[in-house]
Formats: sequence, structure tokens, C-alpha cells
Amino acid sequence: MSNAATLTTEKKGTWGGGRSPFSVSYGKLMMWIFLLSDAFTFSSLLVAYGFIRHSYESNKVTPWPSPDHVFNHFPFLHGVHLPLMFVSLMTFILIFSSVTMVLAVEAGHRMAKREVGMYMFLTILGGIGFLSCQAWEWTQFITGTHDGHIFADGSFFKGANLMKNEYGPTPFGDLFFIVTGFHGFHVFSGVVINVIIYLNVLAGTYDKRGHYEMVEKVGLYWHFVDLVWVFVFTFYYLI
Amino acid sequence: MEHTEHLEHTEPPKDMKKKIWRTFWILLGLTIIDIAIYFWLMDHKSMTKNFTFITLGVVKAFFIVGTFMHMKFERKWLPYLIITPMVLVLYFITLMVIEGNYTSFVR
Repeated sequence: MSNAATLTTEKKGTWGGGRSPFSVSYGKLMMWIFLLSDAFTFSSLLVAYGFIRHSYESNKVTPWPSPDHVFNHFPFLHGVHLPLMFVSLMTFILIFSSVTMVLAVEAGHRMAKREVGMYMFLTILGGIGFLSCQAWEWTQFITGTHDGHIFADGSFFKGANLMKNEYGPTPFGDLFFIVTGFHGFHVFSGVVINVIIYLNVLAGTYDKRGHYEMVEKVGLYWHFVDLVWVFVFTFYYLI
Repeated sequence: MEHTEHLEHTEPPKDMKKKIWRTFWILLGLTIIDIAIYFWLMDHKSMTKNFTFITLGVVKAFFIVGTFMHMKFERKWLPYLIITPMVLVLYFITLMVIEGNYTSFVR
């Protein structure tokens, strides 16, 4: 069952002690449980989103906009109509950074310090790239389109804030900021943690320790961030 | 504080790197399918389309959690620890979406 060396040759059962539950270390198990709790938080946000959005289904006055009418811009290509292309690029960046992260973990299993460092650096670059893209997306959203929108009471409005936005009902803007903002905050904290662990890798801390499990734990967090983005992308942009 | 401790962990399979890249291509392909379905069926608003998107998302989740987060290679009960609450959460989401149908905001 476990490959820990035992002092006696007596066979220990599951509850005989001396082993960790699920045969994972304390740190890794706690990371999994934290991710589960964070998944609940994001699920509640998505539940609120689903509920609010669905309540606008029959609304003809201020209909919920179709995402490809709102998110059809691309940096450096002003005026070109590219619906959902930019957010697909963001998804690709995050998935690719997840790949480099898991390659770092795999290199850690082989105690290959330089490879771990290289892959972690690429992951950090991917995270910063994603955050930059999200910042650009927010700027576009807040600044608004060229034409703006004339509301039912005759007032003109361009862009978006927490009170109203030119694209549709108020919750559309609010939920955009809350959901992508909360996720972006997780990406940001993930990048910060990755930088700390990256510096530790370079300093040889984990080499001395004899295992790169910290890289694995941080990798779990990073994959979770990617996973949440997959669902945000599905629910907010596709459905 | 730290000592060279012996870690209990499940051994990763020998061809892990190949599995990782294969999973990446699968995820990329699924995302492209997502976008293709979105544009192809853009004018048809149907529950089937929505369920397809959600299913593709869950399939992607399985690959990310299974391979990238190593869940496939852990002892059996750790996946159950994570999956069981999430199935219940999925049920919760379904109920709330149905509830949203009964609530119409009139502005």
C-alpha cells in the first residue's frame, strides 16, 4: 500500500497509523480542500449569474446582450469585427500556462532544477499575459463603443460602470466585473505565489529539501485557476 | 524546520510528458469545437446547445483535474472527495437556473 519504510514487519491496516490519509502529504491534501472551498465560492457566483441572467430571458425592454455583439474587439486591430476571438486567445494563453506548469511539476519529480525553473518562468509569463489581456478587455468594456447607447428615457451613455452600461441591463456589467474580477484576482495571487516559488527553485531550496512538492501544490492552485476560467468562459461567453 | 522527509505519493506514469502534451491538444481541440458550435448555431437558442457547452466544459474539467492535477493517479477516495460535492453543486446550479425562469425582472 504505502512505500514508507517501517520499523517493524507487522502489517498495518488502514487505521493502524503511520500513514497519511489518501497517501498524500498534509500540505497537498489541505490544498485540495482549499480548492474545493474556492470552487464553492465560484460556483455561488456562477449560480447567481445563471439565476439573474435567466430572469432576463423574457425581458424585451432591456434584453441580455449576445456576447458576440459586445466582445468583438481585438488589440491592434481597431474596427475589425472579431467576435469572441480575443477571449479565445485568453483561454489559450491560460491553458498553455497550465501545460508549462504541469511540465514544471513533472521535471520536479525528476529533480531537474533548471527545467523546473524554465517551465515555471514560462508559466509566470503566461499568467502576466493573461492579466494584461484581461486589463485590456476591461478597458474596452468600460470605455465603450463608438456609438454608445440611448436609453429608454432618452439619455445617452457610453461605456460601462457599476450603475449602468451601454450593452444591456445593469447586472450585465456588474456580473462581468465581479466574475472576471474575482477570477483575475485569483490569477494575480497565483502569479505572485508562482514568483515566490520560482525564486525558491532558483535558490535551490527544494533541491536541498529533497523533493519539489511545493511546486506541485502551487501547480494545483494554478490549474484550479485555469479550470475556473474554463467555466467562466463557458457560462458567460458561450451560453 | 524542513528535513529530507520520505514522502508518500503515488508514482507518476512513465510517459507522463507525452500524456501532458496529448491532454493539451485535446483541450485545445475541445475549445475550438466550443467556438465552432457557438458560431454555427448562433441563431438557434436551444437548451441542447447550452447543455452541449456545459458538457464540453465538464469534459475539459475532467482532463484538467485528471491529468494536470494528477487526480487520475491518486488513491481512489481523493477524487471522490472532490467530485461528490461538485455533483451536488451542479444540481444546485440546475435548480437555480430553473428558478430564474420563474422570476421575471420588469424594469
